[in-house]
Amino acid sequence: MIEILAHLGTGLLAALQPLNLGMIVLGLVVGILAGALPGITMVNSIVLVLPFTYLMGIVPSLLLMVGVYCGGVFGGAITGILFNIPGDPMNVPTTWEGYRMSRRGETRYALGLAIMSSAVGGLASALFLALFAPPFARFALGFSSVEFFSVVVFGLASVSVLGHTSMAAALVSLFAGMFLGTIGTEAQYGVERFTFGVPFLRTGVDFVTILIGLFAIGEVLEQMVLRRAAGPVERPATAVPRLPLRALWPLRGPLARGTAVGIAVGGLAGAGATVSSFVSYGLEKQFSRRPELFGTGHAPGLVASESSVNGSTGGAMIHLLTLGIPGSAATAVMLGAFLIHGIQPGPLLFTNQTREVYTIIAGMILANVLMIALGFVAALSFATLMKVPAPILNTFIVVFCVLGAFALRNDLADVWLTALFGVLGFVMRRYGLPVPPLVMGVILGPMAEAYFLTSMVSSGNDPTVFLTRPISAVVLAASALLVAWPLLARRRRERAA
Amino acid sequence: MTRAAAPLVGLVLAAALFVASRGLDAVAREGQLGPGFWPRLVLLGLGAACLLKAVAEWRAAGRTAEAVPEPIDGARLAAAIGLIVLYVAILPWAGFALTTAGFIATFMTLAGARSPLVIGANALLGTVVLLYGFVRLVYLPLPKGEGVFETMTLLVYRTLRLF
Repeated sequence: MIEILAHLGTGLLAALQPLNLGMIVLGLVVGILAGALPGITMVNSIVLVLPFTYLMGIVPSLLLMVGVYCGGVFGGAITGILFNIPGDPMNVPTTWEGYRMSRRGETRYALGLAIMSSAVGGLASALFLALFAPPFARFALGFSSVEFFSVVVFGLASVSVLGHTSMAAALVSLFAGMFLGTIGTEAQYGVERFTFGVPFLRTGVDFVTILIGLFAIGEVLEQMVLRRAAGPVERPATAVPRLPLRALWPLRGPLARGTAVGIAVGGLAGAGATVSSFVSYGLEKQFSRRPELFGTGHAPGLVASESSVNGSTGGAMIHLLTLGIPGSAATAVMLGAFLIHGIQPGPLLFTNQTREVYTIIAGMILANVLMIALGFVAALSFATLMKVPAPILNTFIVVFCVLGAFALRNDLADVWLTALFGVLGFVMRRYGLPVPPLVMGVILGPMAEAYFLTSMVSSGNDPTVFLTRPISAVVLAASALLVAWPLLARRRRERAA
Repeated sequence: MTRAAAPLVGLVLAAALFVASRGLDAVAREGQLGPGFWPRLVLLGLGAACLLKAVAEWRAAGRTAEAVPEPIDGARLAAAIGLIVLYVAILPWAGFALTTAGFIATFMTLAGARSPLVIGANALLGTVVLLYGFVRLVYLPLPKGEGVFETMTLLVYRTLRLF
C-alpha cells in the first residue's frame, strides 16, 4: 500500500507539470462543452481529440483524453438541469430530478449538487482505481454476457420507480421504447426488422434523436401552449451555482451508494456510465424513505445518478490499464491512443510503465478536483441563459435540437424523427404516459437483446443459465424484488386504508 | 371509457406487429433463436402492458371522474408544430442559413416576442453565430439549399468568410 501511495505521489508531481496540467484543463473544457451539447457525445469528443495526440507523448495524450472523459460525463447534466436537454443518455436520470428542481427555483442548488456529486464520485473512483485496480479487474473478468444481461435487466426493472401514477402506464412506455430499439438491421443475421421498406430505418432509430425530441421539443411545446392558471414557470433571480458543501452531508448515503454502483457497474467491461446511472437511480428509490418524491425534483435521485456517472469512469479505466480490455466506448478510444504510442496496456503496464500509469491515475484525481472549478464556470455560463426571455430561449432550443439531430449522421431524416418524437413527447406528457421509461427502453433494450442472445448461444439455448450462475441469479432476484416491492407496499397501504 | 380506448389501440398495434414479425425467423439456423425472437418477446410485453392499462382505465372509469388535462392553446400548438415541420421540410431546399433566420423570426413571434428589433437581431445574429460555430468550427455540412438558394447561401458563407 505504501508503495502504491509513493507511486501515486510521484504521479501527482508529474501530472502537475505545466504541459500535463494544461492538457487536463483543456480536456475538461472540451469535455464539458461537448457533453453539454446534445448530438455531440462524450465519446465523439474523445475521438475528435485523438488526432491531436499523435504529436504528443503518451502521458499528455492520455491526460487530455482523461480530461475530456471526466468533463464529458458531467457536461450533459448542465443542460439537463437547465433546459431539460440531457447532453448524453447517461445524464437522463439527473435530468428527471434536476430539471424539476430548476423549475421549482432551485437551479443553483441542483447545479451545485451535480458538480459536487460528480466530483466526489469521480474522485472516489480514481482513488479506487489507484488502490484496488488489479484485484477488482480479476473479479470483474469472471463476468460473462449472462451477468451483463442480469445487470441490464436490473436497470430495466427500475422502471417500477418511474411510473409515479400507474405501473401499467410505465410498462407501456418501457415496452414501446424497447420495441423502437429493435427497429433496423439485426446484428447477428443482418435481417431488417420493422423498416417497412424505408431505407433510413435500416440503420435503426438513434436514441439521441428520441432523447432530444421527447425531452427538449416536447418541453418547448408544453411551455408554449399550456394556459397555466398558476402563472409562468418559476425562474430564479440568479442561477449562479451554489456549491452545497454542507448540504452534501445529509446526502452522503445517496452519494456513497451512487459512487459504489458507478465503480462496480463501470468496472464491468461493456456496461458503462449509462447503465450505472439508471441502476443507481432505481436502487436509490428503493433505499429512500420518501420514494414518492422521486421524479418530482428530489435531490437524492440527482446525487445518486450523477455520482454514479462519474464513479463509473475509474471503474472503466481499471480494465483498460490492468487487462488491456476497454471497459467502455471512451476507454476503447484511449486504448487506441496507447497503441498509437506503441504501448500495450495490460498486466505488465503497472511494472514496466509505472511512472506513466500512476501519472494518468493522478491526472484523473486532479481532473475531478479541477472539475469543481471548471464545472462551476461552465454551469455559470450556461446558467446566464436562464435570464434570456422564454420566447427567445424556446426558439433557440428548437434550432439547437435540429442541429443536434442533424449532427448525428448528417442526415435530415434524423431531424424529422426528432420533430416527430417532440410531438409524441408532448402527447405523452399530456395524457399521463411517463416519458422516462420509453427512453430507458430505447437505450437499454438493445443492450439486453445483445447480451441475452449471446448468453443463449453460449449456453446452447439453455434459459436456466441465468439462474444457475450465482451472481446473475442474485441480480435477477433483486430485479424481481425491485418490481414487486412497490406493488406489495401499495397493496399493504390499500389494506390498511 | 375513452381513456381505455388508447391502450386498446396499442394492443391491436402490438398484435399486428407481432404477426408481421413472424417472417423474420426464416433465416434462423436450426436450434438457434432467430432475429424475430426478441421483438416478439417485447411485443408480447407491450400487448400485456396495454391490456393491463386498458383494464385499469376501465375499472377506474366507474369509480372516479375522468381527469381533465390542463387547457391548452390549440391554435398555438398547431402553429408551433406546423412551423417546426415547415422548417425541417424547407431546410434541404432553401438551405440552413436562410431557413433558420426565417424560422427564428417566425417562431419567436409565435412564442410571444413582440419587439421587431429583438426579433430581427436574434434572427440575424443568432444565425451568424450558429453558422460560425457549426460550419467554421465543427465543420458540419449544413444544407446549402438548391438553385438560387444555394447561390445565396454561398454568398452568405463568403461574406462571413466561412470558406
